Amino acid sequence: MSGKFWAFWLLLVPILGVATMAAGPLYGIWFPRDVSAHGHAIDHLFYFILWLTGIVFVGTQLTLVTFVWKYQAGKRQTVEYTHGSHHLEVVWTILPAAALVFIAIYQMNAWAMEKMDRPPGKPLAEVTGRQFEWRVRYPGQDGELYTPDDIFDVNDLHVPVGEEVLLAVKSADVLHSFFLPNFRLKQDVVPGMKQFVWFTPMETGKFDVVCAELCGWGHYKMKGQITVESRSDFDAWLARRFEEQQATHETAGDEES
Amino acid sequence: MMVSMKARSPKSLPGADPVACKARIFPRFAWAALLVCAAAGCNQHPDAQFVQNRLRMAANEVPGDIQVQIAEILAAMFGTPNDPFVPPESGLDVDKLRMAAGPVWSDELGIKHGLYRRHCAHCHGITGNGKGPTAAFLNPYPRDYRPGLFKMKSTERAAKPTLDNLRAVLREGIAGTAMPSFKLLPSDEIDVLAEYVKYLSMRGQMEEALVRFWFDEVDAGELIPEIRDVLVDELFAPIASQWEQAYDAVVEPEPAALPGTERSRKELVASINKGRLLFHDAKKGNCMSCHGAGALGDGQVNDYDDWNKVVVEFEDNHQQADLRALDVLPPRTIRPRNLRLGVYRFGRRPLDLFRRIHEGITGTPMPSSKGTLTPEEMWNVVDYVRSLPYEEASRPRHMETSIERVRM
Repeated sequence: MSGKFWAFWLLLVPILGVATMAAGPLYGIWFPRDVSAHGHAIDHLFYFILWLTGIVFVGTQLTLVTFVWKYQAGKRQTVEYTHGSHHLEVVWTILPAAALVFIAIYQMNAWAMEKMDRPPGKPLAEVTGRQFEWRVRYPGQDGELYTPDDIFDVNDLHVPVGEEVLLAVKSADVLHSFFLPNFRLKQDVVPGMKQFVWFTPMETGKFDVVCAELCGWGHYKMKGQITVESRSDFDAWLARRFEEQQATHETAGDEES
Repeated sequence: MMVSMKARSPKSLPGADPVACKARIFPRFAWAALLVCAAAGCNQHPDAQFVQNRLRMAANEVPGDIQVQIAEILAAMFGTPNDPFVPPESGLDVDKLRMAAGPVWSDELGIKHGLYRRHCAHCHGITGNGKGPTAAFLNPYPRDYRPGLFKMKSTERAAKPTLDNLRAVLREGIAGTAMPSFKLLPSDEIDVLAEYVKYLSMRGQMEEALVRFWFDEVDAGELIPEIRDVLVDELFAPIASQWEQAYDAVVEPEPAALPGTERSRKELVASINKGRLLFHDAKKGNCMSCHGAGALGDGQVNDYDDWNKVVVEFEDNHQQADLRALDVLPPRTIRPRNLRLGVYRFGRRPLDLFRRIHEGITGTPMPSSKGTLTPEEMWNVVDYVRSLPYEEASRPRHMETSIERVRM
């Protein structure tokens, strides 16, 4: 096979790579809609790094194609022996190192905001991952978890819109990862530990809660739902759940629900 | 569809020069296999079959020809996992069964088929015998529907669960077991699955009824008479009518004995204290004999539920039996519930706990307290049990992460 043939195939790599990225949003395989207050910072970092690596990727691929094309076998050129270039080595060591240091500094605020600066106060709810579902426990009126007025649900996490939500996340069995794609939030959960996550939902609606850590055969179906609603709807929902939990007899309509 | 793909043998492919064919025989097979896989999905059994209740057959020493006859009768009445049907006496909706049965696929409209195998068969098995591929790794074992016994229900002990009970189990899952919540499935899919569970249960009960009928009524060397009077009217109709009557058997607590909704703290504490005494009173509640004096579920730990008891009894009578050949998992004891965890398998409402105490739990050693406790006393025990997870001794301790920093 001639070098031109291989150069052509190698040229397809950056073209298809870029085309996939460009076409992704059109086919709905790009990011889910961001409905959180902080998500833009995560997306910005993602795009920044994507552009940076994308440009380097295209540049290196084109260089590769050029060299394969230019120095293909069969031209009977004399091969030149070289011991390498010290200057070149220094340049391509320092440039990536500088880029990495820059990214490390550039992302510090986003990381701190998402993972370090836990808001004060008690969690709105405790979410427990379990093969293969998410169990939710609200502290009820007294604001304290593990008291008789706790409110329970499964696979349906309700939160109020426009307020910063603090959640405690746990696992009942194995490693899981609590992932809210629309809120740009992901936290591994480890059995025996209690983690905290926080975010501010900006839109009402129903969004996915998924598990992002392979946790067993049913990992793919470990999916819940987060319902963002107005404060008054949220309070009404909590009150209704609490009433349902206190039932001592069937009330009309219960059996149909 | 899959059968036709499979039937196309490699030989019928064009260009069948014998010598070339021999040299390329492996790639040809690989292609054929790939085609079948692409059309059907590799893990699906195109000709999935119901399996026999081998333990029942062995326990009653059913001869081979009768086993074949029972399989034929069941196939004629209930069809196969890919093509289920039921006698009209069942009251089941065959369209729903077809949605649940068969291999997993979605049609052009995105309607999902093969729902049972998509969501349930992994644990409960194609036959609903609780022996899917995952079953051996789960504790408790997944439910075997065939004896027709269900724990999670609001009905009397001997009655079947209502449709709403089955729906509730599917939607909420069963805390403390491997049964997860299917809350996000559309309600019509939940209904389809509940219908299919009833179907598998009826089929399993019919199998047992046939064995029992043969054992009790049929002379040696003769076959079961295949007449409508016996098969449908005598054996199947009673099974089907139990399911139809489930809603009539829902346990409703007497209104007069209900605890008030606006009880003071003092009244609640008084009720809890009464409940504690009843819990520990060997002549009244006697709860501590199984659930333990500390309610940790350690009063007795050597009993079995009805599903495992059958296996244990068989083992006692047949010392040499090879359980694996009978499609049976090693029997496990049933642990009385640790009442301090606050994990309730079928609902945490006072009403749910009242029903547990009133009727006991079907298929388990948990007895009904109807003979020993008045409804008022049962409500006292409910209050006590509900208070247990919140006693200081029950509180869970959790390590928090080392992240101490909190925003100022």
